[in-house]
Amino acid sequence: MMLFPTDDYSLIAIILGMPLLGAFINGVWGKRLGDTAVRVMALSAVGVSFGASVVAFASLLQFASQEHGAHVRLIWNAWEWMHTTGGTGNVVPVAVRFSIDALSGVMMLVVTGVGFLIHLYATSYMAGDKGFARFFAYLNLFIFSMLVLILADNLPLLFVGWEGVGLCSYLLIGFWYETLANAAAGKKAFIANRIGDFGLLVAMFLLVRFTGSLDWNGLENGASSLVSLSGQGRVDVWPPGGGEYTGVFHWLQPSVPLTILPATAVGLALLLGCTGKSAQIPLYVWLPDAMAGPTPVSALIHAATMVTAGIYLVCRLAFVFVLSPFTMMCIAIIGAATALLAATIAVVQNDIKKVLAYSTISQLGFMFLGVGSGSFEAGFFHVFTHAFFKACLFLGAGSVIHAMHARIHDADKTQDLRYLGGLRKWLPHTHWTFLAATLAIIGFPLTSGFFSKEEILYRELINHSVSPMRSRYPKYHFFEPPQALGTVLFWTAVIAACLTAFYMCRLYFLTFWGDFKGWTVGRPSLLAKQELEASPHDAHDTGDGDDHHPADDLSMPGYAPHESPWQMTIPLMILAVFAVAAGLLNHLGGDKRPMDHWLEPVFKTARQGAVVIAEGHTEAWAQGEESFVTTFGVLAFAVGTGLAWWMYIAKKGAPAKSLSTAMPGLYRLVLDKWRIDELYDATILAGVDSVAETSAAVDKYVVDGLLARFTSLVVAASGSILRTLQTGVVHVYGATMVVGLVAMGWFFATPHPDATVADAGNDDYVITAAPGVGYKYRWDADGDGAPDKPEFGPDTTLKLHVEAGKTTTVNLEVRNAFGFVKSRAIQVAHSRTSTSSL
Amino acid sequence: MIPVGHYIILSSVIFVLGGLGFLVRRNVLVALMSIDVMLNAVNLALVAFNRAHLRAGRLQAYPGQSHTGQIFAFFVIAVEAAEVAVGLAIVLSLFRLTRTVRSDEAHLLRN
Repeated sequence: MMLFPTDDYSLIAIILGMPLLGAFINGVWGKRLGDTAVRVMALSAVGVSFGASVVAFASLLQFASQEHGAHVRLIWNAWEWMHTTGGTGNVVPVAVRFSIDALSGVMMLVVTGVGFLIHLYATSYMAGDKGFARFFAYLNLFIFSMLVLILADNLPLLFVGWEGVGLCSYLLIGFWYETLANAAAGKKAFIANRIGDFGLLVAMFLLVRFTGSLDWNGLENGASSLVSLSGQGRVDVWPPGGGEYTGVFHWLQPSVPLTILPATAVGLALLLGCTGKSAQIPLYVWLPDAMAGPTPVSALIHAATMVTAGIYLVCRLAFVFVLSPFTMMCIAIIGAATALLAATIAVVQNDIKKVLAYSTISQLGFMFLGVGSGSFEAGFFHVFTHAFFKACLFLGAGSVIHAMHARIHDADKTQDLRYLGGLRKWLPHTHWTFLAATLAIIGFPLTSGFFSKEEILYRELINHSVSPMRSRYPKYHFFEPPQALGTVLFWTAVIAACLTAFYMCRLYFLTFWGDFKGWTVGRPSLLAKQELEASPHDAHDTGDGDDHHPADDLSMPGYAPHESPWQMTIPLMILAVFAVAAGLLNHLGGDKRPMDHWLEPVFKTARQGAVVIAEGHTEAWAQGEESFVTTFGVLAFAVGTGLAWWMYIAKKGAPAKSLSTAMPGLYRLVLDKWRIDELYDATILAGVDSVAETSAAVDKYVVDGLLARFTSLVVAASGSILRTLQTGVVHVYGATMVVGLVAMGWFFATPHPDATVADAGNDDYVITAAPGVGYKYRWDADGDGAPDKPEFGPDTTLKLHVEAGKTTTVNLEVRNAFGFVKSRAIQVAHSRTSTSSL
Repeated sequence: MIPVGHYIILSSVIFVLGGLGFLVRRNVLVALMSIDVMLNAVNLALVAFNRAHLRAGRLQAYPGQSHTGQIFAFFVIAVEAAEVAVGLAIVLSLFRLTRTVRSDEAHLLRN
């Protein structure tokens, strides 16, 4: 009897539940608990979650070694959420069901592990903030949402986590919401992500429609039905929905309707979702603005974990993506283009966090390039290593900001490279950890970034995506990316890697080398004396520099920037160690690739026949290319680093200045991020705005003006007519009453010989006379002019037989209680057509 | 024995007189009295019909005999009393407000 069997692995409840509990307690009672309790709660929540994750991962390792290469999943079924109907009419259950496999297990460890370190860092970084409890409530909620995203066993549940992290991201970007720009940045991130979410939703609908399944296992088994060669099984693109344009719009009708494979439709829709979450072209614009949030947030959400969700999703649904080589090509191209574009922007930015943000976008581009080239292990391995070095870089930047904050309180200036420099003397721990992470990201040989980036470059060069359905339908022509694509993307990536090395070294040199430009650093003994003389009660607290000083004159000499406390440096050191060493997890010397081997079962289905070595080449060629790629990888690193060294250390920034003055137009263009935001403003946003303005004008002038005014005019006119009846004179009302009474009396005094005729079948008709007070009836059915009975009687109905095609006239006489008599002739016609049908 | 038709004619005459008085006279008090006259005309009709009904019933002595008409007349008298009380109160407040009991000068609710 096992405590946690693989099919009911309830330890997941602890992994997920602790951060949720932390978020709940800190969110509801945080303010009353006090900062210490909030800190303990937040740290223990993520800490326990991390501990449980380690236990879960260890047992996963154990199970996996027992199963020998099978795809092991630790499953915990919480409850049945809902069910829907698939395209084939089958019931598709949607359960709140979580699973840990090789892929999500690694992700889970990264999220909880790096998450814990960043929580620890934030306890010190955010100390004294008035939203301390709120911050940790959001941060814990983020960890929970991210874990839901990772551990979900089906797409709808993943979507819950996907939206959850989007919400937390929004809340944390706009954490200091008093500043309008921060709130706007949060909103921008949220809206850009919503566009992506739309794609994910569409993909979900298509998957239910075509595979009739939503959980990973079912999708993996049903994925092949996404490639259907019959006309019915395809997705109509133009005309939309398979309609037809006729008449005036006939020119819109193509001669052959444009349809695509469901696999391509699903892949592209998913890709839209991934570009939103993972900040790729065209939806990357939110990530640089997201730096408005506190720095630990940037490190955790906008570098290490949430933004990699897109790559995670591609890896998770690799077996869907490989079915469409076109989608794979799109992913690779988007990745390469994003990597290059973001890298060029990062070269000229002056804000530490902006440089790191664009660096993140660029690295995410590399990951997309990796997965897009069909090498999911390589892409995911870069996710893994990137989490460490980018978190370390951001936290290092936070440490620098923390140090600058002692005297500079302007949020923009504390992170402006032009005010920094020479910090390695005063911030030794921050310096060497930052250096380690920088070496990793620029691909210094044998660091983690070196291995993961080489892997991507290598796979990109040698891999070629083909449809795995090629062997099943040999006569059908499947789309195939051009042969030269791999080479083009390889060189793009090499240039991007070179730029990465340049801008990261620029960032490092400008921050930690050269002269400090923030303020004049005076001698401590002298400063203490001055302060005592000036105002003893307002003395500097040299312990930590968090105290705020009003209107500090920066030209005055002050204390040197100080190193951060241990809560901030310890996470930095741990992350730095991983940044350097994590690459060895996949390269323990020789051909052993433990990480690739570990992930192999996850990508087994996707691998089969989908990714081949580029045509016309052999296995031996591919192996020979490895040294070629390594050469250029190291060369890119060396060129970038050397250029940065020459520019910013040897020549002290003079070449950079002369370059920017030589090409002012280009410099401004890149500094303004290629004005992509402005382009979006001018095209998409302006379009939406004009639609909104048109709608507002229609609302104002047509709905409010014409329709509402016309209606009110009618009401007002009839009101003013009816108002004249309201004379206010009691006698007029009395007279009106009398008139009414007389009318009613007249109505009751006269008999009303009304009757209805009903068809009773068989040529029979029943005539029913309307009832009334004291009414008596006399019928004349035979049409001789005289009543059938001489006396008035109580018979209200008369049965009558009328032959087809004949018409009979019946006379009805009614006498009321007052003795008044009235009569009416009723014609009963039997048309011939009504009987012929039966 | 006076036939019931005579009562009905008398009752109708009184009712029409009351109605005319209500419509024609401008004094609110008189209008109120006219309403009472109309109600009494109705009472007379009720009582007379009930009486005629009883007379017809006495010949056969069937158990359905009732005095509903007479009892109903009492109800009408009670309602009349209440109506007079409320009406006079209205007239009083109208007089306090406008210093007149002429109904055509009480037209605050006009239009």
